[in-house]
Order: sequence, then C-alpha cells, then structure tokens
Amino acid sequence: MEAAELWVGFVGAGRMAGGLVRGLLQAGKVPASNVLASAPSDKNLDAWRELGCRTTHCNLEVVHRSTLVFLATKPHVLPGVLEEIRPAVGSHHIVVSLVAGVTIQTLQRLLPPSTKVLRIMPNLPCVVQAGAMVFSRGSNAGDAESALLQNLLSSCGLCEEVPESYIDIHTGLSGSGVAYVYLFAEALAEGAVKMGMPGALASRIAAQTLLGAAKMLLETGEHPAKLRGDVCTPGGTTIYALHQLEKGALRATVMDAVEAATNRACDMAKD
Amino acid sequence: MSVGFIGAGQLAFALARGFTAAGVLAAHKITASSPDTDLPTVSGLRKMGVNFTVSNKDTVKNSDVLFLAVKPPIIPFILEEVGPDIEARHIVVSCAAGVTISSIEKKLSTFCPTPKVIRCMTNTPVIVREGATVYATGTHADVEDGKLLEQLMASVGFCTEVEEDLIDAVTGLSGSGPAYAFTALDALADGGVKMGLPRRLAVRLGAQALLGAAKMLLESEQHPGQLKDNVCSPGGATIHALHFLESGGFRSLLINAVEASCIRTRELQHLADQEKISLAAIKKTLLDKVKLESPSLSVASASKVSLFTSKSKKN
Repeated sequence: MEAAELWVGFVGAGRMAGGLVRGLLQAGKVPASNVLASAPSDKNLDAWRELGCRTTHCNLEVVHRSTLVFLATKPHVLPGVLEEIRPAVGSHHIVVSLVAGVTIQTLQRLLPPSTKVLRIMPNLPCVVQAGAMVFSRGSNAGDAESALLQNLLSSCGLCEEVPESYIDIHTGLSGSGVAYVYLFAEALAEGAVKMGMPGALASRIAAQTLLGAAKMLLETGEHPAKLRGDVCTPGGTTIYALHQLEKGALRATVMDAVEAATNRACDMAKD
Repeated sequence: MSVGFIGAGQLAFALARGFTAAGVLAAHKITASSPDTDLPTVSGLRKMGVNFTVSNKDTVKNSDVLFLAVKPPIIPFILEEVGPDIEARHIVVSCAAGVTISSIEKKLSTFCPTPKVIRCMTNTPVIVREGATVYATGTHADVEDGKLLEQLMASVGFCTEVEEDLIDAVTGLSGSGPAYAFTALDALADGGVKMGLPRRLAVRLGAQALLGAAKMLLESEQHPGQLKDNVCSPGGATIHALHFLESGGFRSLLINAVEASCIRTRELQHLADQEKISLAAIKKTLLDKVKLESPSLSVASASKVSLFTSKSKKN
C-alpha cells in the first residue's frame, strides 16, 4: 500500500497522537489532508486543524474514512471506544494502539476476530523526529503491516518491532525515560547556576551536552563505559565529578526508576 | 648478581620466594637481615636457603641490589646504620610506601656522593609471581640500573617504570589492592556459605571467579563495562545481583578506598618529612637497639623522635 494513498485516522488527539502526527507530517509521509482525528472536545483538535488535518467529534467517522487507525485514548476510555467502533472495523483496517497498558490480547478480544492489530509504545520526542518506539503485532498482523508501520514511523525516530513483553520495559526505559533526562538536565543546569552561570545559558548548554553525548553514543557504537573513560583524564575534573555521582549511587537509583516504571506499567495493564 | 634484603618480613619473604621460584636468582645469592629473629618469615627464608643474618652491614656487603624492605618509619634508622657501607656500585631499592627518593638520596649523600636509588612499589602477590610493581629511578641511577630492577621484578609479575609522583596512587590501587580483594573474597565466600555451599568450596570458587575475571580483562581489548554486560543476560540472575551492588554504592566504596590509601600514604610521608614519627610506630626491638647505641637520645620529649641527624629541615 502506498503511503501517499494512505488514509490515516486518530481516535483521540492528545499529546502522544499529536507527537506522532507531527513526525509523520514533517517527514512528508502522509499529506495532512489525509489525516482525520477525533476527540470529545475541541480542546486538542484546534492544534490538528492548524496542521492542516481534518477533525471530527465522531469516532466512527474516523474508522469509516481511514485505513490505518491509531487508537490514542486514555486507558480507561478505550474499552468504551472499542465497543463503539467495533461494528465499523473491517479486515481492511490496520488498527494500531498507542494506549498504555492495554495488551494485544485485550484489543483483539474487543475487536472483530480478523482485525489486524498492532500495539506501539512511542515516546514524546517523536514530535521532533527523535523518538524511540517499539511495536508488536497481533495474530492477524503480518509482515506487510509491520513493514508499513516501520516505514511510516521511522520518520519519527527509532522504530523497532519487539515481543510484546518488551513494551512495558520500553515504557520504563524510554517512555518515562524522557522525564528522567529532563530531571537530569535541570539538575545539571542548577549546578552551573550555583557556580555562577546564568540559568538560561546553563539550560541550553545542559541540553546540548546531553544531545552531543547521545549523538556520540549512537554514532560511534562504542560502549558508554569506554566513552566515559575517554573523557576522564587522570586526576582531572571529570573523575572527581563521577566519584560524586557514584557516591550518590546514581546508577542504582536510575535502575530503580526504570524498574518502578516498568512494574507500574505491568500493574496498570492488569487493571 | 646478588640481592640483599634489609628486613626479613612479609615483603622480603614474598620477593625472595618469587625470585627463586622464577629461577632468576638462586637462594644462596640472596641475603636477608633483621634484628628480630622470631619473625615467622625468618624461618621461612632460612628454609628457602636464603642467607639470614642479624647484621644489616653484612647484607650490604654481600649485595649488588639492596632492597630496603622495612616499614617506612624505620628507613631513616637503616640509612643511618648502613650508609657508611653503601658504595657507588650498590643499587638501593626502597619499597617503603611514601618514602621519597630525595629523602633517601639526601640521607645517603652524607656517606656516598652518588648513591644509586630506585623507589619501587610492589605488592604481596609477587610471592606467586603475579605481583604488580612500579618503579622510579633516582638522580644517579642509570637506565641500565632501572632495567636491571625491571628484569628482576618482571620475573615475579607485571613491572613498569613511572614518574615518582604517581607512586602514591599506585600504592592506593595495587599496593593495597590485594587487601581489598581478600576482603571481597571473604565476603563472597560468606555469600556462598549462606546459600548452602561448604566454606572451602566457596572460597575456592570465589577466588577462581576473580582470578578468571582478571585474566579475561587483561587478555581482552574490551572495556570492563562491556565484559560485565556480556555476563548479564536480560532479566537474569547477574543483573539482579549487580543492582544490589550499585545500590550499596559498591563502585564509590572502591574509589574511596583507593583514594584513602593514597592520601594516607602521602600523609605518612609528610609526617616523616616533618620528622614527627611517634614512638609507637617504631618496633620495640629496634627502638631498644637505637637507645643502646645512642645514649644521648632523649625519649622524654613529647613522645616524638627526631629521625634525621642532619640539621637541615627542608626536604
């Protein structure tokens, strides 16, 4: 299926859906006029119209007029929405759920038996085409659907197919992980402010430091421990600072964070 | 070549054992001396075939390479005692933590105009020929003198030359390092015993695990972080265990240890330079000997002993 002929629908038009569509549009994968989004109120839909997308308050309309349907509602709302749209879902549809904590099993249970279902967990930087996304396929989704999704969404960043069991881990690592990075950036800047640098400058430099370090990691393919060692001249500033981080058990704390978010994702999925 | 040890304690014993096992030196070419003949290492040295004497002067006379294998506070006494017998041919190797080349050269120069001095930091695993040694050459020690020492020490493990200002850090890392490892091994064995292993087996397996890991690292191009990752299968036992180590600040504890040992070494050196070593640091037998030979030495003064008879205070 040609991406240009694709009619893409979003049920739910919140932050995550908005991030994905911005990525798709920026990369030119889909014309805005081919995108239809639904939401209960206009609160979110104004932004979509500004992008050139079409909007509606009717979920069924999205399903009728789209081939690729993204489900992007809040978790507690989804069962009701699925019951509503179920009659309109056919074997030509590709249903991709962004909904946190809702398993493929649940989705397949609430949709017609032959529906092609995929589940994706993106993260916020999809908005700037630097996202990290993992997806899994349901029983009726095949290589073609997987390839389509990969093709479309690699426009938003890193997109990999995984076993469904990795999705909660991805939440803990990268979905929530973005927030850990923001926290770290804030703290870096605060340290600089304490030492006398103006806040705005410190924040920009903190962000660029993270960006640059991440870029080196991705482009050199070297182990982070090796890159860390490369920065540490004997008796120099870096090793002194790293000692402070180790004293604070930063590594364990970060592991705890990923674990907590992952476990929470699992727990929420069970509800 | 003959080798002498002033001091017949753990270090002398370990080096003598290592050299003889490596075959670089026959035991009868080694002399060791100490006033204290009750040390357990003394009988060990004797059994090895090393020439043991109570006379430090004899050791000096019979050696080309002279190891000062005594505790740092004793060094000045030794230099004072054997100084007159040191000749230009001798290579004086000090293994004492924190004792600088310049302090030794200064002391010896009153007796010999161009003493060859090398400062060395080694560690106890020389006894099994897996030592870690660094050395720095003094003003009058030639390149060949350094190479000679390097050959000797390389026979009992790893040996390399460094700038003197790194030696205290080496002390903190590999000088004290075996103690960190023994502590870790003791605790690992406890863990094994807690989970049901017999003690002997636990000790054996723990030691082998560390030995194997160290060997892998030395033979690999890879970063230890990468080697660690290679052991950690996703969601497996090892990564769970590592999380505990991280939570306990394992890494920072080790950094702290190396730092503390290095800083303490510098502190002791500083104290020595200021000539403020407490009597308690000096073994009783030696102190008695000193008192016998120097009746003018006052020990009533504020429990501090002046170690250097030279008038100059500046180091």
